[in-house]
Amino acid sequence: MTDFDLDRLGEVWRAQPDAAEMAALQRSAEKVRRRARLGQLTDFGLAALVSTVVLILMLSNPKVETGILGAAAIALMLYGSIRQRQFRMLELKSLSGTAEEMLDQSIARVEATLKRTRQSLIIALPGFPMGVGFGVALNSGSGSDLLNRFSENPWLGRYGIVAAVLVAAAALMIIHLMRTQRRSRRELEQLAALREAYREESEATHDG
Amino acid sequence: MASGTGSFEMPPFERIVAEHGPLVSRIAMTYEADPTLREDLTQQIFLAVWQALPSYRADASLKTFIARIAQNRAISFVAKQVRQPPTAEIPEILESDDPDPEQNAMEASERRALIAATRKLPPPQREVIVLVLEGFDYAEIAKMLEIAPNALALRLSRAKSALKTILERGR
Repeated sequence: MTDFDLDRLGEVWRAQPDAAEMAALQRSAEKVRRRARLGQLTDFGLAALVSTVVLILMLSNPKVETGILGAAAIALMLYGSIRQRQFRMLELKSLSGTAEEMLDQSIARVEATLKRTRQSLIIALPGFPMGVGFGVALNSGSGSDLLNRFSENPWLGRYGIVAAVLVAAAALMIIHLMRTQRRSRRELEQLAALREAYREESEATHDG
Repeated sequence: MASGTGSFEMPPFERIVAEHGPLVSRIAMTYEADPTLREDLTQQIFLAVWQALPSYRADASLKTFIARIAQNRAISFVAKQVRQPPTAEIPEILESDDPDPEQNAMEASERRALIAATRKLPPPQREVIVLVLEGFDYAEIAKMLEIAPNALALRLSRAKSALKTILERGR
């Protein structure tokens, strides 16, 4: 590279890929298109199935409560689907805007995730011992022995096993939340660094 | 491809990939060096393009629309990576497979060096250089980045100077 001619470099840059590379790209795009289409069809199929089942239940059991519950289930499903679509449209809109807008939106999204997981952790950490304490308190008031009831029930087995499973589930949930926190914090740092790079560049080129 | 009128007819996705797939691939290459992750990024870009196509209104060229999505998706992909983005590893596919194509080999080597160099630029400068190398004119780029033409000229000048330094150091 003896000279620095961007037009010439552009020609080198845009050199047509060979047939194998082009075929690989086409395969990759086709795989994505098929998967996305399948996802759409699955979502539609599931929504139709759930609606049909709810309608059958409502018609086979024509009561006011069934009607209300069925309508609520369908409304909830529709609301979820509309919200999901709105989120997707928002994301796509940010992708076709400027990098700065996209970064601002990504930062807001990750900050919201961090806030949500932090709140979940605050609730989960004391929540588990509080729940156990509440159960023990209820048991002592009922006049029966919770430990014995657990060990007498063949489905629940020994209290120790049940407790271990509960502790493991709580621990897994806390680990998951902490991992999400760590990942989100790392992403936020990277996003903030990228945003800063754009800010600095903008200042440098405006101030000239 | 761009019509700029209301009578725009969307070409089938396969044709869009045939025409603009190489652009997507090159943009993915300037943001991700790891081949497996790059494939993942390329697929994410194709997915975003496929999902966004119904909202395309032909107020800019389709190439501009796709380049915008590809750059933004690549930037957010890089931000999600836990590790630091690697700077080495240029795909072997850039090397010519022909028996003795001296010219091709030189161009492939130059292209490899160019891609590696653009990867070392800060994202705002990389964005501008990639768009220039992709053949967009300055007015289009200024519109895409929503910056004034003189700010673009300054940014491009800084990017060009940084790229030149990186390329010279690598020689």
